[in-house]
Amino acid sequence: MSIITIKNLSYQYPISESDALKDVSVTIERGKLYALVGANGGGKTTLCNVIRGFIPHFYKGDLRGEVLIEGKDIREWGMGELSQKVGYVFQNPFTQISGVKDNVFEEIAFGLENLGMEPGLIREKVDQVIRMLEIDYLRDKNPFELSGGQKQRVALASIIVMEPDVLVIDEPTSQLDPKGTEEVFKIIELMKNKGKTIILVEHKIELIAEYADYIILLNEGEVAMQGSTREILTDERALTFGAALPQYSLFGMEMRRRGMDLGSIPLTEKEAIEAVKTWMKKGVNA
Amino acid sequence: MGIKRGLKYDFSLLAILLIPIGIAINFVGAQIILLLKLPIYLNTIGTILTAMIGGPWVGMVTGASTNLVVGITNPVSFAFTPVQMAVGLVVGLLAMKGMYTKLWKVILASMAVVLTVLIVASPIQVLMFGGATGNSSDAVVATFLASGQQIWTAVFSTKILVESVDKIISNVIAFVIVMKMSPRYLSKLNYGAIFIKKK
Amino acid sequence: MNNERSMLSRLYPTTKFMITIALCLAAFIVPGYGFSYAVLPICMVLAYFAGSFKEFSNLAIKALLMIVVFIFILQSFFYPGHDILWSWGIFSIKREGVEFALFLTSKIVAVASAFILFFRITKVKDLVHSLEQIGLPSKVTYVILSTLQLIPEMKKLTLVIMDAQKTRGVETEGKLLVRMKAFLPTLSPLILGSVASTEERVLTLESRAFSANVKKSSIYTLEKTKYDRLVQILLIVLLAILIVWRVAL
Repeated sequence: MSIITIKNLSYQYPISESDALKDVSVTIERGKLYALVGANGGGKTTLCNVIRGFIPHFYKGDLRGEVLIEGKDIREWGMGELSQKVGYVFQNPFTQISGVKDNVFEEIAFGLENLGMEPGLIREKVDQVIRMLEIDYLRDKNPFELSGGQKQRVALASIIVMEPDVLVIDEPTSQLDPKGTEEVFKIIELMKNKGKTIILVEHKIELIAEYADYIILLNEGEVAMQGSTREILTDERALTFGAALPQYSLFGMEMRRRGMDLGSIPLTEKEAIEAVKTWMKKGVNA
Repeated sequence: MGIKRGLKYDFSLLAILLIPIGIAINFVGAQIILLLKLPIYLNTIGTILTAMIGGPWVGMVTGASTNLVVGITNPVSFAFTPVQMAVGLVVGLLAMKGMYTKLWKVILASMAVVLTVLIVASPIQVLMFGGATGNSSDAVVATFLASGQQIWTAVFSTKILVESVDKIISNVIAFVIVMKMSPRYLSKLNYGAIFIKKK
Repeated sequence: MNNERSMLSRLYPTTKFMITIALCLAAFIVPGYGFSYAVLPICMVLAYFAGSFKEFSNLAIKALLMIVVFIFILQSFFYPGHDILWSWGIFSIKREGVEFALFLTSKIVAVASAFILFFRITKVKDLVHSLEQIGLPSKVTYVILSTLQLIPEMKKLTLVIMDAQKTRGVETEGKLLVRMKAFLPTLSPLILGSVASTEERVLTLESRAFSANVKKSSIYTLEKTKYDRLVQILLIVLLAILIVWRVAL
């Protein structure tokens, strides 16, 4: 069942002279993880902003076409009610703290307070999220004094606590070190297993190969390719549209080009090792 | 258009978020002045900046809040709150009229700001504090008094001297910074369009 | 403020504010300057019991010393008067000027002390919370809290940038004009950066339902105790006695 339907969407920022999105049509199924990929300036963040309703509610400009969240047009959703439907996390850890709370516990509670939830229930939910994301040791710290990775996990917690069905996560790890990246992806996997619909912009293609169900490749504002992760990441054409491919699929393609077909194009390290083993066995047998 | 609707329009979330930044800029300006040991204040750059791009009401609130925050540690500044408010209001109105688009206009606008400060601050200084403010410019007032001037003229003369330098520098700095802002950002503010350079 | 157990610190913010207002009113009800000056030591004693005597005294000196001294200089020498107490060359101190300075400074000292005390014994977080309960819009409380978080952050950043400028060879010492020129490159990246960040902050706040059209709740709680009632009644009674005494005089 689809939760988001986008049909013939075009959008132009104010004071800009060309469309940032051109005739985009995408269907998002419930409970799946979609990765948005493509070169910078291709429209990934713009599409995220549309799905979260910041376009057209905050960024003005010219929006054409249809964007339906659970069947209701994005223009008709209020910003408040949408925050419980679509959660949004982006790349800058520093601007994602509310700026008014002096400890992590209250920081995470901020969204629920804004929704007017009963304080006892808020405490319960915040406790739950803190345990789930294993950030109990941050509970009493000042959000301003956290590291980038810690801030990003608190930002995720602050959104997750509001229990949105859809999570839009725009380059959550681009300013983090490998350890921070790993921890953020642990949370993303957790959310996927809980049945959340996730729309993820991420440059680290190996991680996408591992976690994404579907890939939407945007190039110069248009959907250049879309399909299952395997379909896209084993297709050489993706390179011409500015996408990166995992080193393992590049390896498989190179092997094929040199007349050493592995049978299939591997996506992950595990698959690559497996494929090479079978291929070598075949070679020995022949 | 009723004033209430006008206020709601002016105080968009983006404009509201400018206020704390404006206040902090006022603080930082004053702090740097202390560090560089310069004989002026530069504590209105944030007020001027927010008034330019956020409009007169946002400028006024930034000004008022600055003095209220300073007042937490120095209540004397409560009394001078109307001065910062007037600066925000006047700059906001002048900016709407296009007085902050060219350097020479900004200098002219600065003089209007100086005049405003003169009119608003002098009565507070003379009537509530007997002509003193508690900072180094009081020595200038004393000098004017010693040369035979009356208290009002002494305060006026001091203010014209100190404020002219201070407000021209502050206005020019705010102007230079706004000119460096991206058109994309300015386009989102209710009062930003006027500063977008035409191609 | 450090002393959690002190009764004064535990009062509700509005009660503390009533103490401040009562002190200010009393300073204007009681004639002369004696009592008004006495507000300063009264506040010092209260600050002592709240465990913030040192902070209070430091701030009071910083805020008041210069302005009081200057008022005395300006008024005693230059106030129009005839009763000369002391003179040196063309300068002379007049009794009328000294009296006016005493009157003026005593009121300033009283009001300023009362407010410094208030902010020493009241956490801003508590104050904002109590204002929110009275019905102050959350946009206003956001501005207050965010400002107080932002200022120390920006001050830290300024020092970092100024150090960076120094190592790049930009002069922060030396001639006036040179120092002036160091000012803009220090300030402008800081300002542009923080102004630009407001855009993403809007997204953050909207993501957290900041503009949802419901009454917000708060997990932070402050209780009024029986002492609040007691102190409030005491203050009103004292003020009433003071007014009656003043009218009867």
